[in-house]
Amino acid sequence: MTSLVLTVSETLRYRGAIGQWSWVLHRLSGLGVVLFITLHIIDTSWALLYPELYVEAIATYQTPLFTIGEFLLVGAVVYHALNGFRIILIDFRPKWWKYQERAAWMVLAGAAIILIPVFIGMFGHVLNFYSGDSQVLPLMDVLRAQIPFVVGIVVAIVAGVLFSFLQGLIAGGGEKKSDKAGSAVERFWWSYMRISGLLIIPLVFGHLAMMHVIQGVFDITAANFTVVGTDAVNVSGTAVEFVAARWNMFLGGVAIWRLYDFGLLALVVIHGFNGLRYVLTDYTAKNPTLRRGMVYVSLIGALVLIIVGTLALIGTIDSTAIEMAQRAAESLHQ
Amino acid sequence: MDVTFKIRRYNPEIPGKDKPYWQEYVLKDVEPTNRVLEMLHRVKWEQDGTLSFRRSCSSGICGSDAMRINGRNRLACKLLIRDVGAKIQVEPILGLPVIKDLIVDMEPFFDHYRSVMPFYVNNDPLPADGRERLQTADDRAIFDDTTNCILCACCTTSCPSFWANGKYVGPAAIIQAHRFIFDTRDQAAKERIDILAEPDGVWRCRTVYNCTPACPRGISVTRAIGEVKLAIMRGSPKGIINPKDIPTHE
Ligand code: HEM
Ligand code: HEM
Ligand code: FES
Repeated sequence: MTSLVLTVSETLRYRGAIGQWSWVLHRLSGLGVVLFITLHIIDTSWALLYPELYVEAIATYQTPLFTIGEFLLVGAVVYHALNGFRIILIDFRPKWWKYQERAAWMVLAGAAIILIPVFIGMFGHVLNFYSGDSQVLPLMDVLRAQIPFVVGIVVAIVAGVLFSFLQGLIAGGGEKKSDKAGSAVERFWWSYMRISGLLIIPLVFGHLAMMHVIQGVFDITAANFTVVGTDAVNVSGTAVEFVAARWNMFLGGVAIWRLYDFGLLALVVIHGFNGLRYVLTDYTAKNPTLRRGMVYVSLIGALVLIIVGTLALIGTIDSTAIEMAQRAAESLHQ
Repeated sequence: MDVTFKIRRYNPEIPGKDKPYWQEYVLKDVEPTNRVLEMLHRVKWEQDGTLSFRRSCSSGICGSDAMRINGRNRLACKLLIRDVGAKIQVEPILGLPVIKDLIVDMEPFFDHYRSVMPFYVNNDPLPADGRERLQTADDRAIFDDTTNCILCACCTTSCPSFWANGKYVGPAAIIQAHRFIFDTRDQAAKERIDILAEPDGVWRCRTVYNCTPACPRGISVTRAIGEVKLAIMRGSPKGIINPKDIPTHE
């Protein structure tokens, strides 16, 4: 904790150039997106497992708090993607270091150029929704819906640290002086962060284009609306039918959106939680038990999300689920 | 001109001064071409003999007087008053334990330095004439930049990864390793690569670029770290630096 407080306050005091602020933004945007996908992947699995909960989750997305969050999220993903690209380029061409300041400014400018039309498009959807007679969940309900996530995150942290503590008791703890095995592992992660980063760019931009620009978050629950990326119509106007339509869309015998979502799931979760491990182990270096615990926390998070996300992707959403969702949607706004 | 110094003080042996605090001193008749180190001398000699800081050569060679001056790591002896203005804030470099005032304990820094085998290794018999091991001008050029390091710690203590995590080997030690890894006459590149590939080796570098402008010797620090990362990824330093890309040193 002291290490985190010291680093944050001294980063604000040190008169570093733009590189320092790029790092701050890259780290914050990465962490923000990790938090979001933790909620998002668990939410999405409910389309299959608990249709009523999925309806409520999408309803929370359609409230002012999450709408603000949505703009921040899209901004974070776009900035992180472009800045990640800058990092990768110079990593593989160190001799280009002289252009890094200019590149960092170009990343900011590029993010602005992309975000202005995107935000205008998103704003159109937002205006449409809130100016209509749409029903919006009260803030207290939205906050209450987040309690299980907070509890889950706390449990994961406690479990990770406890596991590390027990391992220390059994194995005698202490740190290895030299870590040859660790070095092969870190080489792998360094490449993985870069290769996965490049692959995520088209996938996440496509996903966000479908969910924010072409259609908005609000169109997920629009009745008699053609679902983006499919030729099916969302008759019931429930979020569950929306997802069912996408996951049942076949092209040449392949469930393309399931495949697409799986690629996104695996790449993003492993990238994001390894990034989380980088950050958490930076600030816990003084305490070996806590530090190893942070590695377990990242591992637990990644495993849970990949398992839950995959279970949802291989399941089938049937008509009873859609009926349940329909009833839930009706009772939600009473 | 008048110059105001605001200096971070700390003395663990005197009650009341054993928590860091700021103290101000005003100096008269300062020339814009005076160096900051000279003005610290004037503070110490004319106003307050208790002010403590390190310096040896006073001319940018020994690397003793790294400090954070107006928010950036510099050598006080290489910095002119006209380049920092009339209000000057001086504090110890960050990430190493402060012993007194501007003096920090450099041992953790030198431990990292020693960990990368910063010495020339070649166990082959000497050449027939018993004199030098020759090397082409191109082979010499690829590590010329990193021979300039004076171990002042300006780079390492400007790095947020090092502030957060004192186990991170830090830019200076990587620079020193670079100087030998890319020397074609040296035979221990593999060992150094293995040391730096550990979890708290080069991978803690997030390319923040605070180190590069902090270097009083003008070494392109982040570039050199990037080259070491690539050498680790490929398992060998060969072919990573093209001598044609090295700006000729004057
Ligand atoms: C508020 C913004 C977003 C909305 C409204 C949204 C919407 C959706 C929806 C409706 C699905 C269900 C499957 C489908 O229709 O394809 C889904 C799945 C998914 N989304 Fe998003 N998405 C958003 C942002 C993101 C971001 C930023 C990421 C990644 C960085 C992401 C990653 C995923 C993944 C990995 C899945 C598959 C989940 C699973 O396997 O259960 N989404 N998203
Ligand atoms: C859109 C494409 C993306 C690219 C090109 C990309 C690129 C990168 C790169 C190159 C790094 C390593 C930075 C370094 O070593 O200094 C990184 C770190 C990170 N990324 Fe991404 N990334 C992308 C998407 C994501 C997403 C969707 C998430 C969240 C789920 C994420 C979370 C993180 C985190 C938390 C870090 C660690 C930051 C740090 O250590 O300071 N990234 N990213
Ligand atoms: S006193 Fe020697 S480098 Fe400044």
